Amino acid sequence: MLVDYLERGVLAGAIAGIAYGAYMAVVANPLIGYMETVAAGGDHAHAGEHAHEAGEHAHAAGEHAHAVSEATTAAVSVGSGVLWGILLGGVFALAFYFLEPALPGRGRVKTYVLAGAGFLTVSVAPWLVLPPTTPGAEQAFDPTLRIAIYAGLMAVGAVVAVLSVYAYRRVSARSRPLGGVAAALPIVALVAVTAIAAPTIVESGSMPADLVTAFRGLTALSQAALWALVAGCFGWLQTRAGVHSTAERRDDLLASP
Amino acid sequence: MTTETVHGRIGAARDDLTTAQLLAVFAFAAALSFALLFLQEPLIHDSMHNFRHAAGVVCH
Repeated sequence: MLVDYLERGVLAGAIAGIAYGAYMAVVANPLIGYMETVAAGGDHAHAGEHAHEAGEHAHAAGEHAHAVSEATTAAVSVGSGVLWGILLGGVFALAFYFLEPALPGRGRVKTYVLAGAGFLTVSVAPWLVLPPTTPGAEQAFDPTLRIAIYAGLMAVGAVVAVLSVYAYRRVSARSRPLGGVAAALPIVALVAVTAIAAPTIVESGSMPADLVTAFRGLTALSQAALWALVAGCFGWLQTRAGVHSTAERRDDLLASP
Repeated sequence: MTTETVHGRIGAARDDLTTAQLLAVFAFAAALSFALLFLQEPLIHDSMHNFRHAAGVVCH
């Protein structure tokens, strides 16, 4: 049974990954290429006080542009996007197999709840402290420490997701809207605490603020879409395979004995 | 054993699969996440540069 779930998860992840790879090829690669040029050309656009600062960004961006060719980066990035979908799909299916009985909602709603929890854990919680970096951004601390912070925040995100589901299950027995409020509380608390207490690690430098906001919005939406697609395809494959939970079968029997 | 509890699912997985099969699954997922997210070897890291920016994962 676990293997069946994993098979469907990897397939759902491959479908979502191909879509995400297409997004990488059509949107992200050209956009990041353009932003590299903006970061490198900052000293031309900003005269005077910003010139020195922008020059440093250009140097930083230049270093990365030269390590491998642009074509290689574009191709490997598209491939990584597909693999990313497969990884998320596989991990999603494993988690879904074990957690399905504990997730709130019926049938396919459960898949979207888990996808939301996954998005919160893998992306949203770490982004509250380490927002998606634009090319040429300056970051505090060395990469090893930032990876540790990212991993730590993933753990925090997972705990918050569990608390949220637990709160919903406790409270929704009495009232569903109150359950929704209870589920939102841990997430709001996480956002508030990181907004107040977390240090600023990522400085976007000379990049126009609107472009940074647009890039971060696009990153967040594309990751959310990837999770939604994984959950949607997985749910569809489960239905196609005729998998129904015991609770649903019981409800169906009660409705039409 | 019922498979409608988390414990039941863990039990069912233990019955269905050998330890080696479970290890293979988890090792594969670990290897893929390591390569995509944490590998800092310059050539591989840099060739995934656009992906890492687009996915919002820690980069250089």
